Amino acid sequence: MTPHSRFRWRSLLHMTRDTFRRAVWILLGLVFVVSAYGQETQSRLVYVAGSGNTALDQHVQNLLTDQLRSDITLTPISNDQIPMIENTPVISIGPAAFSRVRQANRSIPILAMLVKKSFIDGFAARNPGQISGVFYDVPLLRQALTGKAILPQANTVAILATTATVELYEPLMDELPAYGMSARVFVVDSEDDLIPSLVRALRYGDFLLAAPDDAIYNPRTIKHILLTAYRRNKIVIGPSQAYVKAGSLASSYAPFLEMAALGANLIEQYIVAGAFPAPAYPQIYRVEVNDQVARSMNIPIPDRALLNRAVQQELTEDGGPKGE
Amino acid sequence: MTSSTTTSPKKLSLAVSAASCTLILSLTLPALAWGQTEEPELYPEFLTEEGEQSQIPEVLTTTRLRQSKLKVPGTTTIITGDMIRDLGIMNLVEVFRLVPGMVVGEYGSNNQVTTYHGTSQYEQRRLQVQIDGRTAYRASLSDVDWIAIPVALENIERIEVSRGPNAAAHGINAFLGSINIITRSPYDTAGAEAYTSVGSRGHLRTFTSVGDSTEDGSWRLSFEKRKSDGFDRQKDDEKEEFHDGFDINNFNFDSLLAIDNIHSVDFRAGVVDGVNEEDSEKSGKLESTTNPDIILDTYYLQTRFNGAISDNHFYHLQATYQNQRRRQRWSVSVPADEFVQLLPPGAPFPTDQGPFVADFNEDAEESRLEFELQNTVIFNPEFKLVSGLGYRKDTFDSETYFNGRGNNYQSRVFANAEYSPFDWVTFNAGGNWETTTTTGEGYFSPRVATNFIINNNHAIRFVFSRAVRTPDAFEQDPDWSYRPRNVQPPFEALEGTRFEVKDLVDQTTSTFGEELEEETITSREISYFGQYHLDAALMSVEVRYFNDYLRDMISGVINEEDWYIDNNVAVDQEGIELEGSLEFSGTLLRATYAYLDQDSRYTGDPDKLPPSTQSRAVALMGRLSARHSGSVAWIQELPWSLTSSAAFYLAHEVRGTRFKRADFRLARRIDRPNFSYELAFTMQHYIDQEPWMSPDNIIDEPNQYFVEAGIRF
Repeated sequence: MTPHSRFRWRSLLHMTRDTFRRAVWILLGLVFVVSAYGQETQSRLVYVAGSGNTALDQHVQNLLTDQLRSDITLTPISNDQIPMIENTPVISIGPAAFSRVRQANRSIPILAMLVKKSFIDGFAARNPGQISGVFYDVPLLRQALTGKAILPQANTVAILATTATVELYEPLMDELPAYGMSARVFVVDSEDDLIPSLVRALRYGDFLLAAPDDAIYNPRTIKHILLTAYRRNKIVIGPSQAYVKAGSLASSYAPFLEMAALGANLIEQYIVAGAFPAPAYPQIYRVEVNDQVARSMNIPIPDRALLNRAVQQELTEDGGPKGE
Repeated sequence: MTSSTTTSPKKLSLAVSAASCTLILSLTLPALAWGQTEEPELYPEFLTEEGEQSQIPEVLTTTRLRQSKLKVPGTTTIITGDMIRDLGIMNLVEVFRLVPGMVVGEYGSNNQVTTYHGTSQYEQRRLQVQIDGRTAYRASLSDVDWIAIPVALENIERIEVSRGPNAAAHGINAFLGSINIITRSPYDTAGAEAYTSVGSRGHLRTFTSVGDSTEDGSWRLSFEKRKSDGFDRQKDDEKEEFHDGFDINNFNFDSLLAIDNIHSVDFRAGVVDGVNEEDSEKSGKLESTTNPDIILDTYYLQTRFNGAISDNHFYHLQATYQNQRRRQRWSVSVPADEFVQLLPPGAPFPTDQGPFVADFNEDAEESRLEFELQNTVIFNPEFKLVSGLGYRKDTFDSETYFNGRGNNYQSRVFANAEYSPFDWVTFNAGGNWETTTTTGEGYFSPRVATNFIINNNHAIRFVFSRAVRTPDAFEQDPDWSYRPRNVQPPFEALEGTRFEVKDLVDQTTSTFGEELEEETITSREISYFGQYHLDAALMSVEVRYFNDYLRDMISGVINEEDWYIDNNVAVDQEGIELEGSLEFSGTLLRATYAYLDQDSRYTGDPDKLPPSTQSRAVALMGRLSARHSGSVAWIQELPWSLTSSAAFYLAHEVRGTRFKRADFRLARRIDRPNFSYELAFTMQHYIDQEPWMSPDNIIDEPNQYFVEAGIRF
């Protein structure tokens, strides 16, 4: 081997080492970048477990996407993938989807959309920070004040409840006197009790406040409840928009946009803090009225904007929304 | 589920088209409402595991909703059952004191009567009265026996009174108005209820009801007892009691059977029996020596099939049958010398013996068979059409009044179209074509109305209607006679002989047997109905101005001494009626007032009746017409589950008398989780103690007291 060739070998070796070192640094840099990128991508990915109702799921997801920061990506997730998720929040749509996700993987954070307070509160209390939700049902006080906004003379509110749910109405009964109203609960423990209790409730109340209690208000019973109430010339308020379409006179409801805004806010808080705040009601509600029923019962209805304002004003004048 | 892509544009376009209809509406539509239309109709309730959604059906479709007062072609008063009970009203007929223009009173031996715009001497024959769509007035005389009406106050859901001719909808007899008493659906009365009230002048009312309700149907069986001693005494009788009480038992059975979601069958039946006491002094005839009490025995059957072809096309077919039997018998004792004057000259009866002692009766059995088919089509929200067919057979069987059995048949076709081309105006046009064998002719009763609707809360109505009333069976085809039974010697040979009233009545004025024509009314109404949504109250106001021409009115006297009824009076009447209510927290205030100005004149043959009798015929037409009448009611919720009410009723004046009464009631209602009970105390205070309507209607104590107790499970 000549000195020249030795030099060439040395210089080649040197170059190879430099290249290798550079390649390693580049690789490390790449690994770091990719790793960092990967870490950042993982933290901004949010899964969505749908209700199975395509139109509903798509609508909620679209609204959430519009409300979320642009770097947060919503990705639908199938049932098979749920057990493999770690530390990535899942938005469930509807109570069935929540139960499905929760049963498949008890360690992941879940934001439950379109669930009732009574459904999610227990989970959230037992798993603070891990489980949160946006309540779909309307606070009872707001519903009662919706009735008052329509019937300004109303001061007695009749409520039907089962023995198991009667305590849910105690906060409302405590709150109403501050608004010049009072409520009374009439117990319905069996199908046979429904109409007798309803008749007595209608005799008492200026209106019937229908709470989201599926044992009492469901597609099978609502016809008789509404017909009985209207034969007695008593209005029914609540429990939701769907019931207003069916024939209930009016109900407050949280628009999807408001629920999505709150949902997006809760997700963003999770991403920043690594934990969810407690479940909450949306801040803004509107009032849905069945005008045909109102006309038939000769009840003048203020325009919707006034109604919305009247309810909100009542709530805020008394120190802000309570129980919401 | 409705997708967002199909629903939003549809709703939006509907809203846009609605807005374009009227500037007013478009100005009042809130901006937020437009925002709402952007929300798709997604109701995330009742989602299954698979994501399918079972939506709640629209259970309150137009099939089940009442017509808004803004759109009805006329003025209607609605009295709810709760208001009746809260005001402590003790007899059904007294409810009508709350209706502008109606007068309530008692004639004869405490026989209840109510009229709208008078035109009655005793019985009211110009109102259509229905109970759950079943004609309730009598077949022969067209009046209503309110004492024995087969409805318990506790079973009343509401009473709707259409003021003004309503023949276009209900046919002959809805001449001045119509009353529809709607009872509670058996669906709403599942459970058990018991009630009793006792009070002054022997008042007793008890009510018990049991029933059940399931998805497939419901039923209710109720029993009511009504008892009263009537007035305290008669004017001319200082010591003896007025024999004018009643004791009635009323059984009702109501049931509904749901065949499927859109077909159902109602079945109702009832029995009323009891006694309506008639005082010999006051109501006795032909020298009666015993009280001619009326023994009542009534039953009815009613069935109705309700069906729907769609949410916008529905119908019902109804069949009813009712039978009313009245047994009224009394004994007479006529001095022989007076009696033989009634006999043909030369009759072989002594004049120095006697008296003539026998029994007479005014027994009658009346029945009515009625069918009605009604079809409602809602072509679109702007155009609705109600049409139907009716058939009625009235049968009357009375040896005394008709010398046997007779029938009348009526057939009718009716329709009403409601058209609302814009939100601010609704047109109604309807009519009833009816034929009756009473006169052998056919009659058309039209009604047209335009309602201008302002801001969805106010309506100004212009109504024009014509109606007829044909003479009732007894007015048109009497064959009235008395046949003595149990005749005592020496007149026993007269057993069963017919003494025809046409021979007994004053022959110089008698129109007995002459054919009568129909009465007509042409009515114009301008009315306003408004609802005001105040900050802390709801107020509603209804004002009705009417101007009516009544022609060929049948007036005169029909009794065993005089019979001179004829189409001989014309009445021009106008007036104004107000009804208003104000509801604020825990308080209901309601007031009514009616002013009636009637101008009547004799239009019959001037040679037929002497001037004094002509004047009497005219006067009789206005006998129960009150120039001023009204009511004020105040229902107040109080602490400790107490409710008070106060009511004041006024009628001024009828037959020279005025009615002024103030009622006060205090009730405590306790709702327990599984039952509710109520205790109440009512006082009726007669402000002027002058007898009302008749000098014999004497109430000794100005304050009448009643105690009530009721429980519901």
